Amino acid sequence: MTALLEVRGLKTHFLTRAGVVKAVDGVDMILQPGEVRGLVGESGSGKSVASFSILGLIDPPGRVVEGELLYKGEDLRTATPERLKQLRGKEIAMIFQDPMMTLTPVLRIETQMVETVRAHERVSAKAARERSVDMLRRVGISAPETRIRAYPHQFSGGMRQRVAIAIALLHNPALILADEPTTALDVTIQGQIIAEMQKLVAETGAAMIWVSHDLAVVETIADTISVMYGGRIVESGPAGRVIGAPAHPYTEGLLNSIPSRTTPGQRLNQIPGMAPSVLNLPPGCAFAPRCRYAHAACGTPPPVLDVGEGRMARCVSPLMMEAAE
Amino acid sequence: MTAHVTLENVEKVFQKKPDFAERLAIRLGAAPPPAVRAVDDVTLEIAQGEAVGLVGESGCGKSTLGRIVAGIYGKTGGTFAFEGKEEAHWSAEDARRARLDIQMIFQDPMSSLNPRKRVLDIIGEAPVVHGLIPRREQPARVEALMREVGLDPAYARRFPHQFSGGQRQRIGIARALAVEPKFLVCDESVAALDVSIQAQVLNLFMDLREKRGLTYLFISHDLGVIEHLTDRVAIMYLGRLVEVGTTAEIFRDANHPYTQALLEEAPRIGRGRRAYTPLKGEIPSPLNPPPGCHFHTRCPHAMTICKTERPRLKAVAPGRLSACHLNDTTD
Repeated sequence: MTALLEVRGLKTHFLTRAGVVKAVDGVDMILQPGEVRGLVGESGSGKSVASFSILGLIDPPGRVVEGELLYKGEDLRTATPERLKQLRGKEIAMIFQDPMMTLTPVLRIETQMVETVRAHERVSAKAARERSVDMLRRVGISAPETRIRAYPHQFSGGMRQRVAIAIALLHNPALILADEPTTALDVTIQGQIIAEMQKLVAETGAAMIWVSHDLAVVETIADTISVMYGGRIVESGPAGRVIGAPAHPYTEGLLNSIPSRTTPGQRLNQIPGMAPSVLNLPPGCAFAPRCRYAHAACGTPPPVLDVGEGRMARCVSPLMMEAAE
Repeated sequence: MTAHVTLENVEKVFQKKPDFAERLAIRLGAAPPPAVRAVDDVTLEIAQGEAVGLVGESGCGKSTLGRIVAGIYGKTGGTFAFEGKEEAHWSAEDARRARLDIQMIFQDPMSSLNPRKRVLDIIGEAPVVHGLIPRREQPARVEALMREVGLDPAYARRFPHQFSGGQRQRIGIARALAVEPKFLVCDESVAALDVSIQAQVLNLFMDLREKRGLTYLFISHDLGVIEHLTDRVAIMYLGRLVEVGTTAEIFRDANHPYTQALLEEAPRIGRGRRAYTPLKGEIPSPLNPPPGCHFHTRCPHAMTICKTERPRLKAVAPGRLSACHLNDTTD
């Protein structure tokens, strides 16, 4: 099986007046066809920048300065703008946190959907419209024949996100990048969207990178999870294993910070301190200043260790290896 | 236990004041502008030292209710009593005491802190203005408060933008504590924070409760936070309370179908990958709520009576209230 997406040594830096912001600083990721990957991290960890980099959506002062981005073996970094245009929206689709990033407020949903279909395929307007109506029905919008005539502002937040998902799926993409698609939604609406995405990914066999700050949401949908901290992936592996027995102290700290994992009323096992500024990362392990297991060896850049079961951790002494000894 | 705060049949209707053209149109027989009943007949008692959670989705009126308790909004109906004394009978001194004793902590610390003031003034202003301490004691008081909430007092002369989100929230907490309140209304106070920072602030809330004997009304959409922090919980849907009970009981065995759906759908860690069976439909507009039980349009158990008759909040077990017609039929 060849990998659908191979990211090697990706570095995206922002050259600002205050200095070089290393938002993404050496990310490796291999995604198989049909795999759903959860990319988890707190604000400033670089998870969104990493996913934007894949599609070449980084604007100056930001720049992908290093690394390989191979989509089906084709290097996206050296691809011509024409070629990228062909891929975006057809082979690789993106769903944003705010659906209004996808939709323009001044055009009817119909116009926007038909335009998307015809941007990549030579079909009649009538056929494009039929396909759009069909896709709206599949994402759970009732009476799509009439509602396709509406403007985005006539839909609620959850409905708009469904429309954005429908547009992303119009061309049966092989890869979907979803950046916090349910973060702005209410709990019951979030449940609906997750259910819809689970169903659609299973039906179409698309691979997906689901970027989120919420481990609980990611756990419900992902096959594998990568945890980011300070611009790097610190832990990756099958979802159940990463959540069940984290190998990196940061993952463990994140899990312990979730209130529902502790007996009600008990003090939470918090991570002390604050996330580091990506302008000025510590030389060794970025997490060392907050890590309760930190020792002298953490002052040097930590190795990426294979900790078994298809998992890796960027840590001098991963937790599960200690337990095994 | 004495009731600390008592709300009885509290109601808040927001109505746009008609402008000249609309007044003319109304005189000519047009319908008046629509009113939003943000809080509809809410009765709730909070005892001294208790932590009560208020849960609901956007637009359910939970923030409006919190603001009524904190004295930011007036109510349009019902009664509000603090420490046994009804608002209608408050003297000027009672009103002043109540306003100081009940403090509020907001969701977004950046928009609730004056960006042009230094932390020293943000935290230290209220106790001086209200005559709780003389001005010369202000720096010492601010220093003590900053230590209490886990901020370095050396930063007292900085501005809010020089702090991170979690630190700003701590400034907001210190400001609320500065007037020695007995009751804190926390409106989504940790929602904007990252998980690891959120845990730090939740620990701070628990420490303060222990040290100062504070009473909390904790407003949140995050069920994990509510379960962890509160003794009792009230669930709101479109302006009405649908269920009230102890947190442990409600999380173990919810009575109202809406509560059940909320608990079922909130993603919680450790459940693994699972298929969702989500609640159907949208949250109806509060401008035009459905008749009868507000929830009947999405409820899997809806009956004919639910479409016409409003279910009353009734005791279904000791200390447990629920507003659902399903409880009538089992009698």
